[in-house]
Amino acid sequence: MTQLMNENGIRCDGRRVDQLRNISIKVGVLKNADGSAYIEFGKNKILAGVFGPRDVHPKHMANQDSGILRCRYHMSPFSVTERKNPAPSRREIEISKVIKEALLPAVILKDFPRTVVDVFIEVLQADGGTRCAALDAASIALADAGIPMRDLVSACAAGKVADQIVLDINNEEDQEGQADMPIAYMPNLEKITLMQLDGILSPSEYKKCVQTGINGCKLVYEMQRKALMDKYFTNET
Amino acid sequence: MANSVILAQLKREQILELLKEGKRLDGRGLEDQRPLSIDVGVIPKANGSARVRLGDTEIVTGVKIQPDKPFPDLGDKGILICTAEILPLADPNAEPGPPSEEVIELARVVDRGIRETEMLDLHQLVLIENKSVIGIFIDSSVTDANGNLFDACSYASVAALLSCTVPKYEIQNEAPVLVEGVTSKPPVKTIPVSVTMARIGDHIIIDPSSDEEACMDARLTITTNTEGNICAIQKGGIDGFTLEQVIRCSEIALSVGTKIRKQLEKLM
Amino acid sequence: MMETKRRYVIPGDVITTGPFRPEQNVYQEGDRIISTSVGISEIFDNAVRVIPLTGIYMPKTNDLIIGKVIGHSSLSWEFDINSCFVGFLPAQDVFGRDYSPTKDELKERLDKGDLVAARVANFDRSRDPLLTVQDRDLGKIESGELIEISPSKVPRLIGKRGSMIQTIEMATKAMITIGQNGWIVVSSEDPDGLLKAIEAIRMVDAQAHMPNLTERVKSMLGVELGDNNDTINE
Repeated sequence: MTQLMNENGIRCDGRRVDQLRNISIKVGVLKNADGSAYIEFGKNKILAGVFGPRDVHPKHMANQDSGILRCRYHMSPFSVTERKNPAPSRREIEISKVIKEALLPAVILKDFPRTVVDVFIEVLQADGGTRCAALDAASIALADAGIPMRDLVSACAAGKVADQIVLDINNEEDQEGQADMPIAYMPNLEKITLMQLDGILSPSEYKKCVQTGINGCKLVYEMQRKALMDKYFTNET
Repeated sequence: MANSVILAQLKREQILELLKEGKRLDGRGLEDQRPLSIDVGVIPKANGSARVRLGDTEIVTGVKIQPDKPFPDLGDKGILICTAEILPLADPNAEPGPPSEEVIELARVVDRGIRETEMLDLHQLVLIENKSVIGIFIDSSVTDANGNLFDACSYASVAALLSCTVPKYEIQNEAPVLVEGVTSKPPVKTIPVSVTMARIGDHIIIDPSSDEEACMDARLTITTNTEGNICAIQKGGIDGFTLEQVIRCSEIALSVGTKIRKQLEKLM
Repeated sequence: MMETKRRYVIPGDVITTGPFRPEQNVYQEGDRIISTSVGISEIFDNAVRVIPLTGIYMPKTNDLIIGKVIGHSSLSWEFDINSCFVGFLPAQDVFGRDYSPTKDELKERLDKGDLVAARVANFDRSRDPLLTVQDRDLGKIESGELIEISPSKVPRLIGKRGSMIQTIEMATKAMITIGQNGWIVVSSEDPDGLLKAIEAIRMVDAQAHMPNLTERVKSMLGVELGDNNDTINE
């Protein structure tokens, strides 16, 4: 078993308890998509592409009063150590649903009746915390597509490792740690839009964990903001 | 379609009006659960079983226990698998065929509640390390879907597990063989209790009915254990929660969970 | 004239707080006015709006647009109008009131792939946008180059009271028809002028957010620079 934290409180990948992995985000990386983003979150490498609003197929899914949001989270067969079957797993279907429900509070689709906005997420390489990193990219891709949004959605996990509450669980910590709590947050509206937990926390640890996760989301938000600003408002053309 | 949207909107306004006075459509208070009845041993052919009624929602759960190969890398643990299905007879809108994302989420949330609380000591279910273990399969069928399937399936699964008997297997020539007539109690460490809350406007209610689910803003399912810890969470729905609301929800889940756990403890 | 306060914003940014009127691409949350788009916010005359830098075309009644015929039934043509909605042009709008599905052939007037300058006659969200060509300068476009720019940048291409487009037209002698949907037709008898005009349009599309855009376009076109009060406060 890996030692998850040393006596100085340094984690197995060299981070402090309140430190995020390195994050880089690029906006507008795909030509065909209406909006897109690429994120590297630690060793995670994830692409998000948004199409729409556009015609709904199959037709019966269309809503006369509002646009709808669809979301597909998918992992490439080569994204993990053992080859993953390319067919969508039950885990991927559940994650697609929670990601959709994390983005729904942000998007405003009432002006697009009978249409759909499709969010496609491809995890090219996975290393723990993919749903949060995927959400970070998807939220930016939606803004890039010009879909009206109440706020950005920023996501980051917190958890419990070696009896301590830590920010941004990596793959080893997810496998061998004590708890993993992915959180998505709208930083300006101060609303939690995704929250899950695997693992055992006392009530006081729970409070600390939510707060730690929210703090992480705020750090991620600054990077999302910079990525959007870089694409739209830098003077290089 | 359009009509049902208008109906949901009207109902939401009615529900919100009542909530302001601390009332609900069916007369309950905000933190009142619908009547919960649990019958165990309803399917004698299963190693454990339960029929749970939560209001008008009804679940039948069976536990089957049989020898199996362990998961790779988990050779020192028995197998635990939870599934859930909404039967076509349970809901006019349910269709046979591949499971919808709602059903997949239901099964995974029920499974997570039992797994993450470490309800069973899976180490006690090993026959030969890395080769042969006991597998416990908990399959829930929703027979009447009327809101809050998460909690109803969870209670039924836990009740079926608590009341099950584990058959004894012996190893002969490196293969497990059933020892007739000898059974033991399952290795239960703690009792998970799932509590699902819905936010409608600024109000948090527990155990939402299907009318309430149709117009809720967001949903939070929190599973706690006997020791008063929080072990599994799932947020759903089209909107979010504030930090204060998720903390409040954890307190509700703990206090409501304690009451429900008493009802489940009687089954041991 | 009141000062226009401008700022670069992204969705969720609080543009201002207080008794302001929310207009395009913003919403009110308590007393905060918040942007819903990536763009440039403006506070003018107590109204707050964001000029978006990305996004699809949303039809508005009276918009001049350019559409491409994608098909027809016996009663109307369907148009790709670069939106999530399909535009409808009733046959009667072209043939007149005595249009008869048995004797008139829609194909003879407008066929698949034809470009048309049209106006949005009606659009109320419950139905797809209704088009009309009953006005001066509307109807089938016989010649010219179709250029596509981001619909959100059309206002920039037109400029204040048409200043930008007039500058380009005068400097290049090209005829430019701007659809609010981001489709633009440029025609000119002088091939150099045509290329210059297209280059200028592409420049506006790429640099719409930048300060001094008019000056940049003028200098590219070789036009003398004038005063410019087009500034952005970061």
